[in-house]
Amino acid sequence: MPRPDSLGQFEQLVLTAVLLLHDDAYGVTIHGKVQDLARPKDISLGAVYVTLDRLEDKGLLMSRLSDPTPERGGRAKRCYRLEALGEQALQESAVTAKRIFDGIAEVWGKEWAKEWGKRWGKEAG
Amino acid sequence: MGAPPHRIVEKIVGFLLPPACREEVLGDLHERSEGTWRYLADALAVLPLVIVSRVRRTLDPQVTLMEAFVLCLSFVGAAAYWDRAFVSGSWGLARLSIPAAVALLALKLSDAYARPGRRQPLAGASDAMFAIGMAFVSQAVLLIGSPDVALPLWIASCGGGLGVLLLTLVRMLFPPFADRPVGAAGPAFWARQAGEPVRITGGVARVVKGAGAVLLLALVYLLLRRS
Repeated sequence: MPRPDSLGQFEQLVLTAVLLLHDDAYGVTIHGKVQDLARPKDISLGAVYVTLDRLEDKGLLMSRLSDPTPERGGRAKRCYRLEALGEQALQESAVTAKRIFDGIAEVWGKEWAKEWGKRWGKEAG
Repeated sequence: MGAPPHRIVEKIVGFLLPPACREEVLGDLHERSEGTWRYLADALAVLPLVIVSRVRRTLDPQVTLMEAFVLCLSFVGAAAYWDRAFVSGSWGLARLSIPAAVALLALKLSDAYARPGRRQPLAGASDAMFAIGMAFVSQAVLLIGSPDVALPLWIASCGGGLGVLLLTLVRMLFPPFADRPVGAAGPAFWARQAGEPVRITGGVARVVKGAGAVLLLALVYLLLRRS
């Protein structure tokens, strides 16, 4: 399998959103999830479309059109799914993020790491 | 979903969106809609990014460079034939580059707005005529606004005619991405191409070497004649 390109932060957010949404990953839900992951930043829907196109071009995502639904004015959704290459890229990003966290914790101390661990736990909860 | 948008507003937004992504983007905007104004604000924020993304997806840098070259060649060639002083005159090349740039922009936008999988046999020629038509429109606007910048009629006409011929040839030899058998799920053409080495057969290599040799001899001859 070819090695995936390294991901930018926004690409990581979009890929994580697609991973979390499983079969319900399309424009609106991905935007909502990315907004949630990137809070308090405001994310535009257009930026999500551009990134989804780019990730699809890189071979990290694949898409298909679903059946039209009435709540969308009778229009179809473009649903996205992670490709194997996308999963690999996301895993590498997660490992790098963990290394960054460990490196910072080593310098700023265990108390800082504990506090951040609690904050993240609260936010996730 | 809140209040649906006004039907006419939705139709206008649909018209402005590239057909390849119209269905899903219109659906997403409809689903998020909380009234016509909010819908309009959403659409205005999304539209430029979607168009730029579509242009990026349909753009082949090498072919675009070729198209830019033949467009410049057409207008500069026509100017050199009809009025050599115009090319070397002040702002001559800059004035010649305006219709070429407008035609190239129109061509890239027409690629972005092309319907995937629906292409006529003579699409190459119609694309070229559309691009040169837009170049003529830009010249007409310049003639009204600032005639000093517009090209003389003969140069514009001959350059446009030559441009249509050469551009049609390039478009027939190298059709845009939307026409190539690339599935929505597959990686872009350039991404797939990157992994494969370019294969030059013996025949092509001989032709390229021959053309290079002829070009070199012509250059040497011209240099000797000048000195």
